[in-house]
Amino acid sequence: MNLILIKKKINTYLFNALVISIYAFIWAPIVIIVLSAFDPSPDFTFPPTGLSLKWFFSFFSNEMFMTSFFLVSLPVAIGVALISTPIGVLGAMGLVRYSFKGRNFLETFFVLPMLVPEVLLGVALLLFFIKLNIKLTLFSLIIGHVVITIPYVVRSVSVSLHGVKPMLEEAARMLGATKIQVFFKVILPLIRSGIISGALFSFIISFGDINLALFLTGPDTATIPVHIYSEIQWQGDPTIAAISAIQIIIVGLILGIINKTFKIRMTL
Amino acid sequence: MAKINSQRTLVLPFLLAPCTIVISLLVVAPLIYIGIISFYKFSPTDVWINIFTLENYRRFFFDLFYLKIIWVTVKVGLITTLICVIFGYPLAYFLARSRSKHIELFIFLLISPLMISTVIRIFGWIVLLGKQGVINKFLLLLPMVNEPVGILGTLPAVIIGISSILLPYMVLPLMSAIESIPKSMEEAASNLGANKSQVFIKILLPLSIPGLISGSILVYLISISALIVPALMGLPKVRMLGNQVYDEVLVSFNWPFAGSISIIMIFFTFTILGLYLKWFRKYGSIERL
Repeated sequence: MNLILIKKKINTYLFNALVISIYAFIWAPIVIIVLSAFDPSPDFTFPPTGLSLKWFFSFFSNEMFMTSFFLVSLPVAIGVALISTPIGVLGAMGLVRYSFKGRNFLETFFVLPMLVPEVLLGVALLLFFIKLNIKLTLFSLIIGHVVITIPYVVRSVSVSLHGVKPMLEEAARMLGATKIQVFFKVILPLIRSGIISGALFSFIISFGDINLALFLTGPDTATIPVHIYSEIQWQGDPTIAAISAIQIIIVGLILGIINKTFKIRMTL
Repeated sequence: MAKINSQRTLVLPFLLAPCTIVISLLVVAPLIYIGIISFYKFSPTDVWINIFTLENYRRFFFDLFYLKIIWVTVKVGLITTLICVIFGYPLAYFLARSRSKHIELFIFLLISPLMISTVIRIFGWIVLLGKQGVINKFLLLLPMVNEPVGILGTLPAVIIGISSILLPYMVLPLMSAIESIPKSMEEAASNLGANKSQVFIKILLPLSIPGLISGSILVYLISISALIVPALMGLPKVRMLGNQVYDEVLVSFNWPFAGSISIIMIFFTFTILGLYLKWFRKYGSIERL
């Protein structure tokens, strides 16, 4: 009996070790970048040789990176969140609140941007923009990102809307509220968390996107991921590790906020 | 009643129009456009000329150079999917069956890396797998390894990179599938004398097949359109379709051919998704996928 128990215990330990190593497989590359960013040595050695912020200073004193961070990546991501959120909220309201012919089709249609491989969407948009004489500016990148983020907004808002009982709406209507009042005073506050997480997801996706950005950015509008991409090819120093670490921290903070207001599992 | 209906006919288009217009204009129209130019003749001076041709499609399927790229792409996709199944199953089982208080944290740790830029995660793998990287430091401790192993630029490097990024897409549907299998079934089987591997083969595996299929389709379809990972970890030796499309568009400006490769890949993707939806609708919707 005792032997069986010991065997069982060993099995549990082995299984837990396996789970931990699978997590390591996902997280090791992320952790190593953050460690390299804080390591004074320029050649990405492990274990770290010390603690230093010099790569962060090097990032903040590099005009090209600063322009790309504050004048391209950030404004684009904010613009994307501001545009795709209202569009997605309206779409989700239509899909969840009404039943109509062709609803199933539209439901699939609204996730279409997720089903087309991003690289190919990037190619198609680039050639399409060239055809229409649309120059590659921040604007062209923003519309590219709006397309891929709309499905996320629709989804997270839909999840929230499913939780709103139609009864509440009817009650407000009976008490004399107009449709618009019902929307702003009843529905909107109830689906606030879904809207916020949709907006934050849009921000993060735009902020980290490379597949579309690679095609839709010109030389003056390269986003941070595009810079990291070309620096890796030129064997850059850990300054790009510092930028990456900053991105990881920003994304981590935002995901922390989303997770607090909204179960992250429901949106993905 | 009539009043509500007339309001509805006004409100509904207002709600649905923005999404529909944006997606039609920025997904459907561009795809149709590259579909059209994929039938034009390539010209080195004018990019394309208005002559209808099937040459761009013929070239894709009959030129040995492209057949090799297709083969590499298919191979990377299949091996990546297999690795994600092997690594994903234990993790999905753990997440589905764990009674830990920290289960939300574990799910967060699984999903949040999806939101970190692919470039950064691949940058991490380049640091780890480089000649002076951590992995090589460990390998050098082994008696049979005498000098650093050049992992970067090989097929295994590309597969490691893609599978570590796509693993969550395998785990999530698998986890839902395992969650829906009553724990009592496993217990009943082992009470009746089945050992662990018998429980796995006879109970868990067959009942979690819907999750396995969703996860595999998702991982396979995303991995065959990879561009960044092979570009940073595989080139020049490991060249996938994504790299070829990129080069045709931005290096050799052969847009008709880039168009035909894209159309073939999109057609393939949608065919698989369509079949999946037709056969497995009862197990889950496109949302789940």
